[in-house]
Amino acid sequence: MVLTNTRTLVLIIPHWRVIAAGAAHDHLAAVVNKDRVVDVTPDGAEFGITPGTPRREAQKLCADLKIIDDDEERNVRKFNSVVASLESVTPRIEITTGGWCSFPTRGPSRYFGGDQALARVVAERTLKALSATLKTTEVPSVFQPRIGVADSRFAAVLAATSERFSRVQVVVPEGSAAFLAPFPVDVLASKYSPLPEAEELVDVFRRLGLKTLEDIGSLPSEELLARFGSPGLLAQQLAQGIDGRASLLRSISDVVSEESEINPPADHVETAVFVAKALADRIHQHLAIEGSVCVRILIEVESEHGDVSSRLWRHEHRFTPAGITDRVRWQLEGWYRSENPPTGPLSLVRLTVDETVPDSGQQLGFWGEKIVNDELAMRSFVRIQGLLGPDSVTVVQRGGGRRLVDIEQRVPLVATRLDPDQVMTLPESTTAPWPGRLPAPLPLAVLPQAQQLEVTDGNGRRVGVNGRGQVEADPVRIQSDSLGSHLIIGWGGPWLLDEKWWDPAMKSRQARFQFLLADGTSHLCVIENGEWWLEASYE
Amino acid sequence: MQNASVGGSLGNDIHQVASPLVLARHRTFPVVDELAGLFTDRGIRQGSTIEVTGVASLSLASALTISVSRSGSWVGAVGLPMLGSSAASDLGIKFSRWAFIDHPGDQVGAVIQALMAGVDLILIGPDIKLRPDHGRKIVALMRERGASIITVGRAALCNLRPDLCLRVSQAAWSGIGWGHGHLLSRKIEIEVVGRGADSNLRRELVWLPDKEGRLNTVDQSNEPANLLQSACRMQKVSPDIGEQVLQAS
Repeated sequence: MVLTNTRTLVLIIPHWRVIAAGAAHDHLAAVVNKDRVVDVTPDGAEFGITPGTPRREAQKLCADLKIIDDDEERNVRKFNSVVASLESVTPRIEITTGGWCSFPTRGPSRYFGGDQALARVVAERTLKALSATLKTTEVPSVFQPRIGVADSRFAAVLAATSERFSRVQVVVPEGSAAFLAPFPVDVLASKYSPLPEAEELVDVFRRLGLKTLEDIGSLPSEELLARFGSPGLLAQQLAQGIDGRASLLRSISDVVSEESEINPPADHVETAVFVAKALADRIHQHLAIEGSVCVRILIEVESEHGDVSSRLWRHEHRFTPAGITDRVRWQLEGWYRSENPPTGPLSLVRLTVDETVPDSGQQLGFWGEKIVNDELAMRSFVRIQGLLGPDSVTVVQRGGGRRLVDIEQRVPLVATRLDPDQVMTLPESTTAPWPGRLPAPLPLAVLPQAQQLEVTDGNGRRVGVNGRGQVEADPVRIQSDSLGSHLIIGWGGPWLLDEKWWDPAMKSRQARFQFLLADGTSHLCVIENGEWWLEASYE
Repeated sequence: MQNASVGGSLGNDIHQVASPLVLARHRTFPVVDELAGLFTDRGIRQGSTIEVTGVASLSLASALTISVSRSGSWVGAVGLPMLGSSAASDLGIKFSRWAFIDHPGDQVGAVIQALMAGVDLILIGPDIKLRPDHGRKIVALMRERGASIITVGRAALCNLRPDLCLRVSQAAWSGIGWGHGHLLSRKIEIEVVGRGADSNLRRELVWLPDKEGRLNTVDQSNEPANLLQSACRMQKVSPDIGEQVLQAS
């Protein structure tokens, strides 16, 4: 396994959530997420309130405390001006979340004359953007940006965030392991650590008498792997100044990218987000089949007039389709509120995978086995996958689109890290934001591939729909290979898929019909470009 | 077969030789109240095979899994690539523990055997065929493990003998006319025949689906005997069609 490190600069603005929430440094305020404090002003901290304190306790400790609800969209949006100010330093800024971004130093460092000089430039520009955000000439010292530069991203983050060091901390090349050695193992479980849910692991380390990163780093790797599995190995790599989870080097032909036109171009962010969700699902599936996960993604959105919004996003652990979709939304909300919003409706979304790492969770245990029968079920699915292939067992996941078949997506089981007890909120079938909604109730049998159909009038001629959206003759008979030939005894429609059907420039006319047949069956059919298709049946 | 000369040790080995046969007869999987009346035990007996035929068979077969899907048990669906999750969720099915094996190909016997070991309820689609020897093996596994099978279509195609047959004998849609309205709700009549103790014919009327896409009981107080008169209102029928046939085959 090739372990490649990229020398990285990490920028962190402390108390970003408080800043984004609009609280000043001398206010008494705390930002709360799900009833726990996630950020608190320095004055608030004096009352003993820290991140992790439950909301009620915080209010008891300080009655005058102003509680603000956390909003990830706000956190990211307000960070835009800072990111914009750094785009002249490097085109490759990666945003992890509001107040936290990073980029590889190689090019910019050479350009500005070394890491220290680069860091100073970054600090200056960030300060300038920050004072504009805070509307003050002097940025209070607690809010001032902190910068770390190191061979490994983890070391750079620790260099930036550790109170022990000055605001700009450059770790010498090859010096990361020595730099990291004295840190306590607790840092492996901090919010900046790429190890997910590491509290238990860190707990065990401590009980075994391993107190610092040096202690972890010096253990024999095979024993660590045997005892703790891949999280243990990753912990060791991090401790040694290696970023671990080596990114898979992809060749140009391997690039995973999905794009989609938005037709008709959208004025609403949610329509573009809906389109992006389907792309995100496809990318996720594609990567899952090859056993990797995306940790960095490039999101590009274009408007009909050619404006482009392009941003790199990074996730410390892994991007889920929902995570990618959220970032599309945040990016678009930020774009619309920025100084250069799009000048026309949105017409294209493109997602390009920028960095992947191998997924180490592709085994039996990745469900958490909360219930014994989950484990038994998983065993049988694994056996079936052994017989038929990895995509043979699928589960339900919603996609986006106008056609029923686009929404009814099945995803291979291996592509999901399903927690079966996590509530899967499927969107209401009638409130999807795309045009051409189906009347309820929905048909239960949706054909994976629409089947050709013939619908004829009383004279045996094919029934068509005219330019005014009306049938040219009453449909009387339906005929297809799978259904046979049947008389129609009831019908409804047309329901037009396309709201601009009257536009002469739009060559396709699409309309849906329901047909009740003499044999008692009922079906949902589509006419498109004069051809009939069977889409679904009300079985 | 133990040799007579080692008969002395037979007594000790008997417990290993004869594994206990757990009779699943009295244990059932839950079904929704609206359908519980179809079953003598008010639930699907573990280890049993149910056949569902007729016009709304996919809906009815799916509806039988609603309670199981909500109770933390697993459902496996073989050969049902067309099962739509939107409509099924509206019915009340929870998909968090559903797995689909849409195209088992000629390995279907092995696939169902594998599923037997891990899931509680198996739905088998109408195009799936099983060989007789696979059918027998599966029946044996079902009894041992207590998993149940619901076939959409005749169970005989899978070389399985159904313990219970549900047939949709009548179905009538409301809401759709001739060139106006749309499919709004469907009332179905379900005929139930079982084996042995269950061999009396029973009938039940339900909405499948009702206006919200759900399974629902029918208010029996003002139901005429003939479904045709009550449900469908066809405003205008094309003069070319001589008969109004709504009865399911």
